[in-house]
Amino acid sequence: MRRLVVDPNEGTVGFQIAPMIDVVFVIMLFFMVMAGAVKVERELNCQLPGTVETTKEVPFADEQVVQITARGDVLLNEEPLADAGDKVLQKLRDVLRRVKANCDAAKTPAVVVIASEPKAKHGRTMEVLDALAEVGITSVSFNVTEEE
Amino acid sequence: MAGGGGGDGDPEFQIAPMIDVLLVLLIFFMSITSSQVLKTEKLPLPVAPNALKRDIMRNEAIVNVKWDAAREKATYVLEGKNYSDLKQVAEQLKALKKQNASTPVKGPNPEYRVVIRGDREANALTINQVLNAAGEAGIADVSFAVYNREGE
Repeated sequence: MRRLVVDPNEGTVGFQIAPMIDVVFVIMLFFMVMAGAVKVERELNCQLPGTVETTKEVPFADEQVVQITARGDVLLNEEPLADAGDKVLQKLRDVLRRVKANCDAAKTPAVVVIASEPKAKHGRTMEVLDALAEVGITSVSFNVTEEE
Repeated sequence: MAGGGGGDGDPEFQIAPMIDVLLVLLIFFMSITSSQVLKTEKLPLPVAPNALKRDIMRNEAIVNVKWDAAREKATYVLEGKNYSDLKQVAEQLKALKKQNASTPVKGPNPEYRVVIRGDREANALTINQVLNAAGEAGIADVSFAVYNREGE
């Protein structure tokens, strides 16, 4: 009767580099795609008003008042520029860009007051602040109107 | 004289440096993706694509404003503690500012600041009251935390 001889080294495979590279490629592709779509936390910075020396000259500037209603409508100097559904605020951005250009030409600071109704949403205020950041208006003050 | 270059035949494809480069790229993408996961409080922040990158080298106090839409009431979270009264928040901010005056600053800007991480549904009055609290504590530098985009 013949006996079957089994070689212990037969059938073992050495370290395969090609599948490892395949896997690394796939993982890298996953992270590359994720890196593009990732949501990052950022900041909109502002300075609270402090005291000004009375002997110091204070330049007077034209104030633009952006009103935000509780519904989410946005008005510039009482002129409606965006309703609650308008998230982009393109009209407001265009007008503010012109205001900024005029102020720069006249060498006066562009000052904006964001006057929100008490129940206006914080998210809406940030959308307006984002529009101001885009057009480069940095003098902004916040005001919450009294409830009627 | 020994000449440069030449060599015998075609150079072989080198697998080892390629793996090195791949692993470095992998670690890079892993780190920038996972760094976004290490966030403190999960809040639906507002979205502002034009906001600046967060300056993490500042001494700062982070005030989270959680909004309960059903009760129309805000809860303020400062240093892991919940507050419902803004007077306490102002006092705590004042204490933190004093405490940080002796702490060396990591970045170039030494001014202590408050970062307001407000729920996008919170009302303007609530956020304004937080601004007042910061003012009461003598902190003039205030930042609003936002997301750069919508999505998960």
